[in-house]
Amino acid sequence: MVFEIPKTAYSGKIREVKLGSGEKAVTVGGETCYPLYLFEGEMPNLPKIAMEVWDMPPQDWAEAALEPFAGVTDDPVAWAKKCVEDYGAEMICLQLVSTDPNGLDRGADEAAEVVKKVADAIDVPLIVWGTANHEKDTEVLRKVCEVCRGKNLIIGPVEEGDHKRIGAAAIGYHHTVIASTPIDINLAKQLNILLGNLGVPDELIITDPTTSCIGYGIEYCYSVMERMRMAGLTQQDEKLQFPLICNISKEAWKTKEVHIPMEEDPKLGDAKKRGILLEAMSAMVLILAGGDVMIMRHPEAIKLVREVIAELTAS
Amino acid sequence: MVLIGENLNIMSKTIGPALKERNPKPIQELAKAEAEAGVDYLDLNIGPARKAGDELMEWVVKTVQGVTDKSLSLDTTNPVAMEAGLKVHKDRALINSISLARMDEELPLAKKYNAEMVGLLWGREGMPRDAAERGVIAVELMYKANELGIPNEDIWFDPIVTPVVNIESNQAKPCLEFMSMLQDIAPGCKSTVGLSNVSNGAPTHLRPYLNRTYMIMLMKYGLYSAIVDAFDPELVRIARGERPELVDLVERVMDGEKPDPSSLSEEETKYVKTVRVITGETLYSHSWLEV
Repeated sequence: MVFEIPKTAYSGKIREVKLGSGEKAVTVGGETCYPLYLFEGEMPNLPKIAMEVWDMPPQDWAEAALEPFAGVTDDPVAWAKKCVEDYGAEMICLQLVSTDPNGLDRGADEAAEVVKKVADAIDVPLIVWGTANHEKDTEVLRKVCEVCRGKNLIIGPVEEGDHKRIGAAAIGYHHTVIASTPIDINLAKQLNILLGNLGVPDELIITDPTTSCIGYGIEYCYSVMERMRMAGLTQQDEKLQFPLICNISKEAWKTKEVHIPMEEDPKLGDAKKRGILLEAMSAMVLILAGGDVMIMRHPEAIKLVREVIAELTAS
Repeated sequence: MVLIGENLNIMSKTIGPALKERNPKPIQELAKAEAEAGVDYLDLNIGPARKAGDELMEWVVKTVQGVTDKSLSLDTTNPVAMEAGLKVHKDRALINSISLARMDEELPLAKKYNAEMVGLLWGREGMPRDAAERGVIAVELMYKANELGIPNEDIWFDPIVTPVVNIESNQAKPCLEFMSMLQDIAPGCKSTVGLSNVSNGAPTHLRPYLNRTYMIMLMKYGLYSAIVDAFDPELVRIARGERPELVDLVERVMDGEKPDPSSLSEEETKYVKTVRVITGETLYSHSWLEV
């Protein structure tokens, strides 16, 4: 008898979602198999990386993370351009850290103006990430949607508590929404249903399952994402067939392990290498779980991830 | 189907304070209402009752049996309180429940007071993970009970139903499987479930669909009794055999039939969708009836 390698029976497909517009628009999703199971199906769009830009100078970043962006961290436009021109970013994620009500609490108009300037300065897709404060995000992201009409932004996080008002603005001004739920597959499915009920078209939804980094519960994120892919690909669960986005860099670079100088704890090794590896390996784990878009920070971590993807998909 | 009303519960906003204040009125009113709703037993859940549990259980058994002749299911983890209740209970009480951890002190109570007992299939290492682990626990409890002279007919095994809302710990299928093998491993033993737990975490107004559907599914494999919300009249009708077409539909879907959606009424569609959510064929979400 000839041995036959067992093959997964796929019955569904991840939706293709086009992010941004114009020549540099990026399409994600479209998988007909588990992540990188190219021997069982197709992955027409490989995982993409969005480079992170803050709308205010970071106060608490590790030295290693600041180094590649020396001279531009006080100017989001220059920072975003540097990412695209010097580091080849395929997408930018502008983190609206300055709008945090517990921090600078910058107003919606001012924040939206910055988003507009960045959007005008780059030709790659722009992700705009709020602070996960429902009231503030509603105010800020609605304004962003309006001011940046026609830009096809990707805005989030859109959660159950603010999905109606932000979702309505996204429909009105045609932006993609990031449906965000706290590491729970049932809640993720529910939010996708609610967004559908609201009238957000399927091609304008991408799912944020909420992610954490290695050492801080990434196993749980992995299981939830893996289970989402199983439901979408083998159980025809249409509400779980959206591409997945992971906001991983801020999780990796806020850990205490990244901030401890080598002199303080020599056995942890070189601090710079440590941060880069933590970010790169966390992103890689999430890609193996089914992530389609990784939001990342350090150019060298990004380079590492791109190399591994290239190796895993080489024919 | 034997139905045990779950509503006399220390967690209830009216019953909790009434138990604490020894105020008989709300307790007796609820007991009468449950009896009128058509259940066979009344569960008295007084919780762990660490302080003066014996005195509380004695009082509440007398209070409830003062207004109804239904048998009571005494629900506490405190063995002293359990014995106090058994002492004053008229006729045969149901001990809810005895598990491996406390069987040495509690099984003798079932014998001494000629009570029926719920054998809770909670393992030494916690929640059993599948039907086989439930079987192992059941056999151990059964042998120990038989040694003391408790006949199988007096043992009601509870496989422990878990919420369908939580995918990580959903044990709906293993419980069904256990039910199907119970008579082979423990001939003559009865069964019961804390039915409402299957819908724990679901929107309140939709919980009855999960409860009723899961009860029908368990009934297919011979479920003997269930601890239920006494005030779901449709559930009581189903248990009394008054909705045979609904039972038939659920059983057909369980057997893999895919009824033509256009042939189903709105109500029937809800039951079909609920079967699929319970079996895991469709992933649960709060809007499961809409998609």
